[in-house]
Amino acid sequence: MTLKEENHSEENLPATPHHEVFVAIDGFALLFDVLKSSGFQIVGPTIDQDAIVYDQIDSVDDLPKGWTDVQKPGLYRLNQRNDDKLFGYNVGPHSWKKYLFPPNVALSIGKKNEDGWEFQEAPDDPPKLAFLGVRACELAAIRIQDRVFVGGDYVDSTYQKRRQRILIIAVNCTQAAETCFCTSMDTGPRCTDGFDLALTELDDGFLVEASTPEGKAIVDQLITLEVTRKQQQSAELARQNAVDQIKKRMDTTEIRDLLMSNLEHARWDEVASRCLSCTNCTMVCPTCFCSSVEEVSDLAGENVERRRQWDSCFNLEFSYMNGGVVRDSTRSRYRQWMTHKLATWIDQFGTSGCVGCGRCISWCPVGIDLTEEVAAIRKDAP
Amino acid sequence: MISNASKMATDSPRSPSLWVPKTVVIRKITPEVENVATYHLAFTDADAAASYRFKPGQFNMLYMPGVGESAISISGDPESPELLDHTIRVAGNVTRGLTQLKPGDTLGLRGPFGSSWPMEQCVGRDVLLVTGGIGLPPLRPAIYQLLKRRQDFGNLHLLYGARSPDVLLHQNEFDDWKRSGLTIQKTVDRSVFGWKGNVGVVTLLLERLHSFDPSNTVLFCCGPEVMMRFVARTAFDRGLTAEQIWVSTERNMQCAVGLCGHCQLGPQFICKDGPVFRYDQIAPLLTVEGL
Amino acid sequence: MMAQEIQNVLQELRFSSGLSQEDLQKLASISELVEVPASTVIFSEGDAAADLFLLLGGRVELCMNVPAKGCLPVLTLGAGDLLGWSPALTSGEMTATATTIKDTSAVRFAADKLQRLCEQDHDVGYEVMRRIAIALSKRLVATRLQVLDVFADPMTEGKS
Repeated sequence: MTLKEENHSEENLPATPHHEVFVAIDGFALLFDVLKSSGFQIVGPTIDQDAIVYDQIDSVDDLPKGWTDVQKPGLYRLNQRNDDKLFGYNVGPHSWKKYLFPPNVALSIGKKNEDGWEFQEAPDDPPKLAFLGVRACELAAIRIQDRVFVGGDYVDSTYQKRRQRILIIAVNCTQAAETCFCTSMDTGPRCTDGFDLALTELDDGFLVEASTPEGKAIVDQLITLEVTRKQQQSAELARQNAVDQIKKRMDTTEIRDLLMSNLEHARWDEVASRCLSCTNCTMVCPTCFCSSVEEVSDLAGENVERRRQWDSCFNLEFSYMNGGVVRDSTRSRYRQWMTHKLATWIDQFGTSGCVGCGRCISWCPVGIDLTEEVAAIRKDAP
Repeated sequence: MISNASKMATDSPRSPSLWVPKTVVIRKITPEVENVATYHLAFTDADAAASYRFKPGQFNMLYMPGVGESAISISGDPESPELLDHTIRVAGNVTRGLTQLKPGDTLGLRGPFGSSWPMEQCVGRDVLLVTGGIGLPPLRPAIYQLLKRRQDFGNLHLLYGARSPDVLLHQNEFDDWKRSGLTIQKTVDRSVFGWKGNVGVVTLLLERLHSFDPSNTVLFCCGPEVMMRFVARTAFDRGLTAEQIWVSTERNMQCAVGLCGHCQLGPQFICKDGPVFRYDQIAPLLTVEGL
Repeated sequence: MMAQEIQNVLQELRFSSGLSQEDLQKLASISELVEVPASTVIFSEGDAAADLFLLLGGRVELCMNVPAKGCLPVLTLGAGDLLGWSPALTSGEMTATATTIKDTSAVRFAADKLQRLCEQDHDVGYEVMRRIAIALSKRLVATRLQVLDVFADPMTEGKS
């Protein structure tokens, strides 16, 4: 259920590190039954308000069969496909972080009695969740949030508890959106690790690869066939298609030093003239983790709860200190977001905070593209 | 690739929540100057009291239920953690709310958090403590430790600046500190009738200071950021290097453990990487507007 | 004897350390050592500029006259500090009143002699003026910090 690496003894098979089997499309529905009988609630892609979002799903019928997404800077549209693919799109406005790092969660409760205040952990019993349809960039995002929330000196127990109760069923991308740049961030499109199961969708079914005992236990309950040479080739072609379609690039060479030595670059003013400080990029980002805590109290003030909510470095009050705001301009807030994501994140966590999913580009109402912003600053670098 | 450490952490038994405060009771409130008071707090739970230790320069998150949390430096003696001093200036909702409380009332406390003054660096050296305004209380635990082991250190100087004579803190202890071997110079930005002490910023005291060996000196500085920058410049003029200077910085600390993002300054989380930094680690970040 | 003593004193002072023996000798020849008891007014705001001092010890308060508030202290000077820059640069009036708070010792230069020395010998004049400029630049930075009012209480700021 949690991430465990197997020892790859079969190192002569780098392309498919784990044994793959074929599950016919007719047999795919059985996956839902097996997951449920194993105690999982299933969350995965479904259509809501003209977008493919992640939500609780019950059956194959809830999947966005025959739909795809078209994405450009500031644009996201659903289009009908000319086939019945279940996973024939890339990423939408949601990411899996909403299940692991909930947008609103109780942290502690306090009760006042005759001896004064008493505090305890807020009751929290998250369900076992099976994530269905996790893309390579999203696996990378989960790895990054693992590092943030449980990989340091301080462990966030709300994240940890949820993280320990998920099963990850990844899906290899077989196409790319205009906004995708995972190849630049070295996060995809191929799912290589960090999953229990990984699927590659073909016209008539799926190649299924199990990388953990938990994943294997699920596969063992499905109706599977040996993978034919032709299916293997089709899967390779489909996965290569995603690589070939990725046209967006971000040059990450020495990017930390590039950005941190250009904190007063004129481009920050230029991008600030377009940025609305709307926080969309931080909400859709699968790794952004800023939050604030608010007090919820009953009318008597004797039962209180501390609730953590997503916050954003684009909010003015976010940097409030001692009667003033440190980042009081859009310029300083955009700079904070981008330099944190691409530069200081490396200092803090040993990895970039960006996985190249392109959500911040599609969902920016004015179409700001961080890869262009990096390129504009790099253009002036000596 | 993510490190194995995080894999282990996701697999490991659940960690205790960082978010649950311990209950503390206000034993005493000492008014200091206008809008500033020292709250003397004690844990109600014996186990919590027994296990609590802090280092000079660290802070606690004080929690007033229904109002919120505020990061407050611990201003008392690290060797007497049974009574935790917090010298608090009213500066927001939580600190204002605390003024409504009285001895016997309870509140929540999480901590201690953050880095500490490097006391081990002081051994065998002259120590300059340069501070201003509400920056003295975070240095007070260091003063207690220095004076308790006075013979381990060279000359000890406290240079203390305040806005005006009426807001100088901890004046009732200055004679004790002097007797114990700390030389103290005070200065104010704005004089009042009858004040015969120094007028002018604290950097001028550092400029004039004698009886310290710049090559064998450690300087701890706590005060407004702009003051600390100019203290460092003056220290450079006096022959110190950035590696000999330590400053205590401030940002909007909320979670106190580097998980909420609020207190970032460039690559640093002030709450867990700081608040005390060696000056060379933080100096370039202090002059960028809006960072 | 006296000149040699002053020369030795000047050599140790922050203001004049690093000057050549020849320059120190020239400066010593136009100065004298003075002892000023506490609570003495050294000069008053508006006085004709006459003397420049380098403080050796003690403490001097500079104040400026504000109607209905009296003479408000704006700066305290101590060992090593320059007192009375006006006489070195202009022949106008003193800009503040200087009063000793403690018994104070100083090296006193007659301003007209110092100006004449600097005019006649530009090498020593350059050194003297450069050091006065450094002292004033530090005082300017310190004054800026005072103007910033960095210790102001955020809760009462703007209300007073």
